[in-house]
Amino acid sequence: MNDTSDILTCTGLAIGHGKTVIMDRLNLSLAPGKILAIVGPSGCGKSTLMRALGGLDEPLGGKTTLMGVDLAAADGQQRQDILRQSGFLFQGAALFSSLTLRENIEMPMREFLKAPRKDIRQLAEYKLALVGLADAMDKLPSEISGGMAKRAGIARAMALDPAVIFLDEPSAGLDPLSSGRLDELILRLREAYGTTIILVSHEIPSILRTADFCVYLDPDTGTIGGYGPPKGFLQAGNSPKVHAFFTQARFD
Amino acid sequence: MSHAPTGLPFARTEVLADGTALVTIGGAWELNQPLPSIVIKGDRAKVVAEGLTDFDSSLPAWLYDNFKNIRQLDISTLPVRLQSLVQMAEKASSDHAQSDHAGLLETFGSWGVESGGSWARAFDHIGHTALGFLKMLVGRAKVNWGDFKLQLQTSGVDALPIVALLGFLTGLIMAYVGLIQLRQVGATVYVANLVSLAMTREMGALMTGIIACGRTSTAYASQLGSMNVSQETDALRALGINPIEYLALPRILAVTLMVPLLAVFATFIGIFGGMIVACAGDLSIEQYLTQAIRAISFKSFLVGFIKSIAFGFIAAWAGCYRGSVAKRSALGVGEAATSAAVLGITFIVIFDAIFAVIFNLFDL
Ligand SMILES: Nc1ncnc2c1ncn2[C@@H]1O[C@H](COP(=O)(O)OP(=O)(O)O)[C@@H](O)[C@H]1O
Ligand SMILES: [Mg+2]
Repeated sequence: MNDTSDILTCTGLAIGHGKTVIMDRLNLSLAPGKILAIVGPSGCGKSTLMRALGGLDEPLGGKTTLMGVDLAAADGQQRQDILRQSGFLFQGAALFSSLTLRENIEMPMREFLKAPRKDIRQLAEYKLALVGLADAMDKLPSEISGGMAKRAGIARAMALDPAVIFLDEPSAGLDPLSSGRLDELILRLREAYGTTIILVSHEIPSILRTADFCVYLDPDTGTIGGYGPPKGFLQAGNSPKVHAFFTQARFD
Repeated sequence: MSHAPTGLPFARTEVLADGTALVTIGGAWELNQPLPSIVIKGDRAKVVAEGLTDFDSSLPAWLYDNFKNIRQLDISTLPVRLQSLVQMAEKASSDHAQSDHAGLLETFGSWGVESGGSWARAFDHIGHTALGFLKMLVGRAKVNWGDFKLQLQTSGVDALPIVALLGFLTGLIMAYVGLIQLRQVGATVYVANLVSLAMTREMGALMTGIIACGRTSTAYASQLGSMNVSQETDALRALGINPIEYLALPRILAVTLMVPLLAVFATFIGIFGGMIVACAGDLSIEQYLTQAIRAISFKSFLVGFIKSIAFGFIAAWAGCYRGSVAKRSALGVGEAATSAAVLGITFIVIFDAIFAVIFNLFDL
């Protein structure tokens, strides 16, 4: 399962908050350009896992390699470089509340690109248009709905054309149309730039459409309860719990 | 996504016989280089590629921007992956009109940050601030200079009225109390020495430092604390930006710069306040001023100035530190503001005492 060409691997990873372990014995690996969906009941640790995989939180044990760098061994600068090459959408969007949507997207560009102001502006407008926010660019985060904030968060995560994007519930709060378009955007990003995408989602149809692999976190055993292509989860097979989760969620 | 760029991005425009603008693009398109500009007349255009070696988002962004107002756009000969990225933006912006249902509000419980080790964290924060400062000096820190300018205004210039008022009253009170004593020994003229010396060495810096704790430390603690609550600091980290460098450094620099200036201002206003009382009965303005000028030496001015730099740093640092370790709740932000003011004022008074000993040793 471990291959040096993998863009993301974790072995024996344990995650949690403070000293409380919520999930351990986590082994995953993902080749570049693949889309991985993390599923599981609310509160099982999906967001916590994403933060650990993205290098935002210290894991409680185990090893994570992102883009060839061992996160635990990386020094401050290395880790910062890794973070810059990956995009992160937080579950709560986490837009900078004192900046307009446009400024939110421009902020990382201004900090890291040497491009002239005009080009940065154009790039930010394009990224916002990609998520359907062309008309809300000059609004503040407090003036938009939760679904719009999510989409702006996605645009910010894509700002620097990252090699890896982490999306924590990107479609939560989106209407079906926007959500369908988001799936399309995810697929096109992968197709165009070979972006690797790790996402948390509760929407089974969307997972079936986009994800190459799916990992189910089982809160009862505190570790991975099933792993594989999402289509496999629909058939009653070797992991009945995952199958139940998928099919029930589908007819809910 | 690394690639060897070959040739700068270019775009050429010509007009075809039927009035369609033909735009030829090519080269390697990268975010980090200037992009070509073009002017298109009419509302029909066709874009073709010629020697287009590589592109990132800059190219679809450039196409989207330059051709938004073109009614008939033909990009059918461009690479498919490029076409789809341009169409995606067009499509999303044309049918985005429908509204979202409001997303679930994140509920932030007060997940306790462990209370122990707060001294270790305080030193850790100072260490990171110092490190950030060094990185800034060699140009390797991401600092929000917009914040710096804003803070010069809000923590500096905007504090002028309150600094003036409190400085004035401090001088006035000292002169009043001083006169009661000095009248008994018939040395009322020395009230000028008393007020001017105390203002320059001590009260100018101290009053300004305390005002900075009340206005600025609390403001910074709640600003950074609420950014913590809404995960904005996490978002900065996720972008590879160090929040201490980006948020704390410009604030600390601005306040460390402004407090000494405000202190000098407070000093002069205080001396003026003392003059009002002294000259109301006992002294002439001339007497007061000559005595005052005689009393202030460069040394005492320097003592006050050095202290005010330290006090400015303490006030700003206390706010940034308490804000950055604030608990993730509304209550936590309030607590951060309170504890920032308490921490700032306590440290200022403690350091004032330490300075008194040090300056005494060096005979300043
Ligand atoms: N900052 C935190 N401090 C302490 N516990 C937390 C924190 N964030 C989440 N938790 C706990 O960790 C568990 C997993 O949370 P989370 O990863 O957000 O779940 P999911 O994203 O799967 O819904 C939950 O039980 C939650 O209560
Ligand atoms: Mg979550």
